Amino acid sequence: MSATQKQPKSPFGHFIDYLEETFIALLLGLMTLVTFANVVLRYVFGSSLLWGLEVTLILFAWLVLFGISYGFKITAHLGVDAILNMAGSKSRKVMVMITAVACIAYGGLMMKGAWDYWAPFGGFQQTTGRVIPTGFNDRTRDQGWYETEQVPIPFGRTYLEETFNMGEEYEKLPRFIPYVILPVGIALMLLRILQATAGVITGRRESFIVSHEAVDAVEEAAAMNKEA
Amino acid sequence: MDVVLLFTMIIGLLLIGVPIAVSLGLSSIIFLLAFSETSLASVAQSLYQSMAGHYTLLAIPFFVLASSFMSTGGVAQRIIRFAIACVGHLQGGLAIAGVMACMIFAALSGSSPATVVAIGSIVIAAMQQVGYTKEFAAGVICNAGTLGILIPPSIVMVVYASATDVSVGRMFLAGVIPGILAGVMLMVTIYIMARIKNMPKGEWQGWGEIFNSFRDALWGLLLIAIIMGGIYGHPWFSREGLIWRPGAFTPTEAAAVAAVYAYVVATFIYRDMGPLAARDGRPASSVFQKPWTLVTGLFHEDTRKTLFEGGKLTITLMFIIANALILKQVLTGQQIPQQIATAMLGAGMGPIMFLIVVNVILLIGGQFMEPSGLIVIVAPLVFPIAISLGIDPIHLGIIMVVNMEIGMITPPVGLNLFVTSGVAGMPMMAVVRAALPFLAVLFVFLILITYVPIISTYLPNLFMGPEIILN
Repeated sequence: MSATQKQPKSPFGHFIDYLEETFIALLLGLMTLVTFANVVLRYVFGSSLLWGLEVTLILFAWLVLFGISYGFKITAHLGVDAILNMAGSKSRKVMVMITAVACIAYGGLMMKGAWDYWAPFGGFQQTTGRVIPTGFNDRTRDQGWYETEQVPIPFGRTYLEETFNMGEEYEKLPRFIPYVILPVGIALMLLRILQATAGVITGRRESFIVSHEAVDAVEEAAAMNKEA
Repeated sequence: MDVVLLFTMIIGLLLIGVPIAVSLGLSSIIFLLAFSETSLASVAQSLYQSMAGHYTLLAIPFFVLASSFMSTGGVAQRIIRFAIACVGHLQGGLAIAGVMACMIFAALSGSSPATVVAIGSIVIAAMQQVGYTKEFAAGVICNAGTLGILIPPSIVMVVYASATDVSVGRMFLAGVIPGILAGVMLMVTIYIMARIKNMPKGEWQGWGEIFNSFRDALWGLLLIAIIMGGIYGHPWFSREGLIWRPGAFTPTEAAAVAAVYAYVVATFIYRDMGPLAARDGRPASSVFQKPWTLVTGLFHEDTRKTLFEGGKLTITLMFIIANALILKQVLTGQQIPQQIATAMLGAGMGPIMFLIVVNVILLIGGQFMEPSGLIVIVAPLVFPIAISLGIDPIHLGIIMVVNMEIGMITPPVGLNLFVTSGVAGMPMMAVVRAALPFLAVLFVFLILITYVPIISTYLPNLFMGPEIILN
């Protein structure tokens, strides 16, 4: 049922896995701590971090948008595999290939959307064309001066101002920084989808989905039952 | 017509095994490009705002995390011991205790599969040892596990509240009585079956064991008190005597506090994980012997793993919900809910007929979709009709949740059936047969909930005043 990769991995592959997992863990941990700290501050000291909520929501977006790609990598995304499991190996292959095409189309369209949305904030040019990018729009309005509501700039203020705001002052963290996860996360997602597709073609991987969220836990429990 | 095409495409993609999130997202994007002026950039923006713009949904990662810490620890074991001490001496006692343990664990976690795995992996084996059939054990746990989404906190309720702008606090309160009622109905059914079939009964271990097991499980049970007391308030002694102190947290904050609390309990009190845990023959050590673990515990490998597990589950759920929100935008942009409402009301549909239709839609939809994704799509469609028919939004929410529960244990694609078949090591069809008698109980329960609204609305109206509908 589960299609996790079983082939041995290089030390570098393990290192990348570790990096991605730790980043996911770190984002979730930070979200929890910031929210918890704000509750304690309010309840005990009667004050609060003004930027707490906004930072938590940004971390939430980062967690999910970054994690989607990892979900494709380890085949953790949910789907319906009832028909897939009934099908013979040939029709199964056809279905999985259609799935690959659908995922690539989704990733590609989202990639264009993510770039077009982020580009003006980062001072880059949007792409032209409605579905397929046909070129760059040199009349894109620079929106580098947009700031977040409350988030302070921890470091590198001068660099940010000179590079993205024509030397003018930023009072709060500019928006292109939290938004950058959109093109980055989607690009990673597209990369993992393409890798998964390659895996399906070469037969190293069976499908893009698992049928339910508790696959790992169930496998553990089943292994435990066998021992007992 | 266009919309029929949209849904055909979604279901087609789902059936050939495209990830749920991609099926919803891709179909919506294609529809938007073909039939509207919307740009891809604004779709990407909605994807980002699904997280960054939804304060309510922020409760999901925190509840998931709290539940992850509670599942890694031996909390399930302690709850089961307490449940057995309470009801184990009845005829069919271990089965009844299994239901009770599921109910308690459901109050710690917001998900049904998590409940089945945590309780089922211990109780099913234990029931076989004392002479129950494996089928009976699997059927009991499979059904009782569905209470995970009905007894608060519940991820599905958070999603419903977010999709329809009702209060999460109200939804949680509304789930309390139905959750207990469903649990009791299952217990009574088991008791009757046990009397007829003369099933084994355990030994009465005395009040001492109840007290001891309660004290042992107390730290886990306190999590319920923190969540409920934090949201709704709690009694408090002050200079004026006993007063009712109002709730201090929003549900999202309560979830974050619960997550931190669960970490502290699992790492420093129960010490089932983290730097103080017993491993390689070394007994568990105390935090007073190793005070530095207060800091190192945060970076321990077990903490990292649990955070990652919680993060992974959050990601897969939110990926679906975020794409379902894009679809929701498409539907509201095309005024589909209003069109359906006019059509249904024009056909002279009354509240009873409407609720039957909702039940059927959800029971079928629950076969294919992850519950929270389905709620995001269906709730905005049926919500306006429900309001104009005078159905309480909270009541509607509970009906939807109970439908999701039943969807989880109806073949062919019930989520809990998969999980139970994995945990018990039995084939799918055997679990389906085993779950059938209790499925009937849940159906009776669904009818009860659907046509007796006061079961759901009594508590929220008592504590938070009557619901005011603004639009």
